[in-house]
Amino acid sequence: MSFKTIRLVTDSTCDIPAALTAKWRIGIVPAFVNYGGGSYADDGAALDRQAFYEQLPHLRPYPTTAAPPPALAEPVLRQALAEADHVVILTAPAKLSGLHNAIRLASADFPADRVTLLDSGMVSMGLGWQVVAAAEAAEATGDLAEVLAAINRVRARQKVYAALFSIEYLRRSGRVGWAAASVGDLLQIKPVVSVAEGVVSQIARVRTFSRAVDKLVELTQAEAPLVRLAVLHANNLDGAQALRERLGDLMPSDTLTVLANPALGAHIGPGSLGVAVVRE
Amino acid sequence: MEFETVMTPQANVLACDGHLLKRLVEAGLVWLEVNQERVNQLNVFPVPDGDTGTNMYLTMRKAYEAVADLDDAHVGQMCAALARGALVGARGNSGVILSQWWRGFAQALENEPVLDASLFARACRSAVEMAYRAVIRPVEGTILTVTRQAMEAVAELAPREPNLLALFEAKVAMGYDALRRTPDLLPVLKEVGVVDSGGQGWIFIIEGMLRLMRGEDIHLRSAAAVAVQRPGWEMALQPEDEQGYGYDVQFLMRGQGFDVAAVQAAISEIGWSVLVVGDDNLIKVHVHVHDPGAPLSYAIRLGAVLDDVVIENMQLQYERYVQERHRHEARPVDGVAVIAVTAGEGLRRLFLQDLGAASVVSGGQTMNPSTEDFLATIQSLPNTEIILLPNNPNITMAAEQAAALCADKRVRVVPTRSIPQGISAMFAYLNDRDSLSQPELVEAMAAAARMVRTAEVTTATRAARLNGMTVGAGQIIGLLDDRLAAAGSSVEAVVRDLLRQMGTDKYELVTLYYGIDVTQAEAESLSQALQAEFDAVEIHLVSGGQPLYPYIIGVE
Repeated sequence: MSFKTIRLVTDSTCDIPAALTAKWRIGIVPAFVNYGGGSYADDGAALDRQAFYEQLPHLRPYPTTAAPPPALAEPVLRQALAEADHVVILTAPAKLSGLHNAIRLASADFPADRVTLLDSGMVSMGLGWQVVAAAEAAEATGDLAEVLAAINRVRARQKVYAALFSIEYLRRSGRVGWAAASVGDLLQIKPVVSVAEGVVSQIARVRTFSRAVDKLVELTQAEAPLVRLAVLHANNLDGAQALRERLGDLMPSDTLTVLANPALGAHIGPGSLGVAVVRE
Repeated sequence: MEFETVMTPQANVLACDGHLLKRLVEAGLVWLEVNQERVNQLNVFPVPDGDTGTNMYLTMRKAYEAVADLDDAHVGQMCAALARGALVGARGNSGVILSQWWRGFAQALENEPVLDASLFARACRSAVEMAYRAVIRPVEGTILTVTRQAMEAVAELAPREPNLLALFEAKVAMGYDALRRTPDLLPVLKEVGVVDSGGQGWIFIIEGMLRLMRGEDIHLRSAAAVAVQRPGWEMALQPEDEQGYGYDVQFLMRGQGFDVAAVQAAISEIGWSVLVVGDDNLIKVHVHVHDPGAPLSYAIRLGAVLDDVVIENMQLQYERYVQERHRHEARPVDGVAVIAVTAGEGLRRLFLQDLGAASVVSGGQTMNPSTEDFLATIQSLPNTEIILLPNNPNITMAAEQAAALCADKRVRVVPTRSIPQGISAMFAYLNDRDSLSQPELVEAMAAAARMVRTAEVTTATRAARLNGMTVGAGQIIGLLDDRLAAAGSSVEAVVRDLLRQMGTDKYELVTLYYGIDVTQAEAESLSQALQAEFDAVEIHLVSGGQPLYPYIIGVE
């Protein structure tokens, strides 16, 4: 069996730091964020992530997100296929986003035996860790089966948790039933959520953000020992650093701190914190 | 019920059968009712809820109602029924201790047809032992001390004194002695300048019995003391006759040359639940009638000047009460169910709809629910595992008594002391109900309750000196975790004072539950002003709708 060149393509919700996407030559299809009357591709040029977060607390109406037109995914796939024998595509969950479908439509124009399309079922670095593990396996083995096995190993051992600073953004996103139903709640809630297989579940309801973060720490500790960890924040770097300090020895040496992509930020709201972990 | 409050004076009462015990208890009840406002005035905290006198009176009333129709000469059986009535009717911590006192008394009388001096001494001892067991950490300087020292006087005298009348005299005399010493044992009493309210309430019951034996009328001491509580219509399960509850009529007759016994006889002809007390120039009348004009006309014909006339339609009150009670009853949950004590529409909705309580028991801020209220609600739920949230320190013991009496279900109490504590506990319930066993859940809820601090704002019911503060009757006062901490002339100023004292900036979230007498606009304006001062915290406003407390505040 000969060594194959296998490249990864994903979408901009993966939150993989630029240094890593460059290192592994990972192709990124941008999500779109709509606000202030415009629609902006999250491609590192049209949308300034930091500037978006500065405005987010004040944006009314609330921002929305959109999948890219399939035509925009096509050049990304074309480029990857030009460099590789095979392309593995990992996307945001189809249950939560139109990205998967847009990329699926675009991939239909390419030879089916050179493209593998997978729904990661995960958001942010939950998706990102699958992509990184796949890229590492691709370089090490040059074998599609090994790459898929690496993805499955991560999927079986990973968790994404988040402490939301407010339930309001998730409620308005309309993508999560229980949050949408919270409209009549008399007390404001700081939910702690998990994402698995494209489903956002409420793990705990607490009344203060510090208690939500306590819960986040507790949930992360329960996964130890960890082989991969990304601390996620929606423009709350201080909170992310404090969270890292509390996790202390649990953190693998290559732990990442990541500003969540705006498409995710628009749904979880500013200030929120999260973790994407892969246990041993 | 009709009160027969006069008895032929007897120098020697050597034995007491079931019939006499019932009449003695009736006299004790009437004497406590006449004096209950004096007992209420002894409450250490000048807050409008959880009055000791009212709670003890309602407990005794329920005890009496349990034997009102019982015709039993056997003193042990009569007392057992009485104690059972007290046990389920117990309200407030003092009512629970009182009910346990009766339970102990009844235990000693079991199988005894007649009470004599030596048995009385034994029963008093058994009663005190049971009362002490009602509290986890008995505190001296309370009703416990008063009942114990009074019991010791009886124990000392009984071997050589067969006359029950003399033993009651010794009991009351020593009871008052002990009562006077309660401020030496309990510093907070000395600071406030009162004697223990529960001890005083208990003495009034025993004293009423003594007065009946002596043949003394159970009359009014002074016009100022006249303050008969609204009738306990809440407690009754059925209207008193097929015409319904009718009207509760209370008034004062002022004039000269009244014959109290004649007025009592005449009023008894007109209606039921009669209480007529007073002297030749001032009489307090309390009667239930279907025609409220009749007793008033009678008094006018007698030449009296009427004062403080209060007429209440008990039928409508009862219907509203029943409606209120049953409106939200059905909120079925699987597994462990929670019953919470709340007052106010907003808080009721919060507990039932947002927080997942299976049922609520009304009360807390106005009336402390009885053990029986808890029992009825527990039985109305299909769940076999139940957690009670009293949300008030003065309701905890009644809840615990209900839990202990409930043999067929596993009922536990999380002793929440305030509404914010109850809400915090409910969040733990929501988060952990599917993963924890009931005992673990109780622990998690108790831990959550301790994570929130409570401030409450209300109006002082009387002048008081406490915690180095002087407050006047009617002044706005603020409590911080059950401790008097602020006083002022406006609700807003007291709220601000409390939040400053708490060091609110250290915390993250302030939730203001505003009461029924506060408009939304007023609450919003206060909330905005507070946000400007405490800009680091999140301030959240919730319509609680509770009476008497303009603001209940949770800080966490």
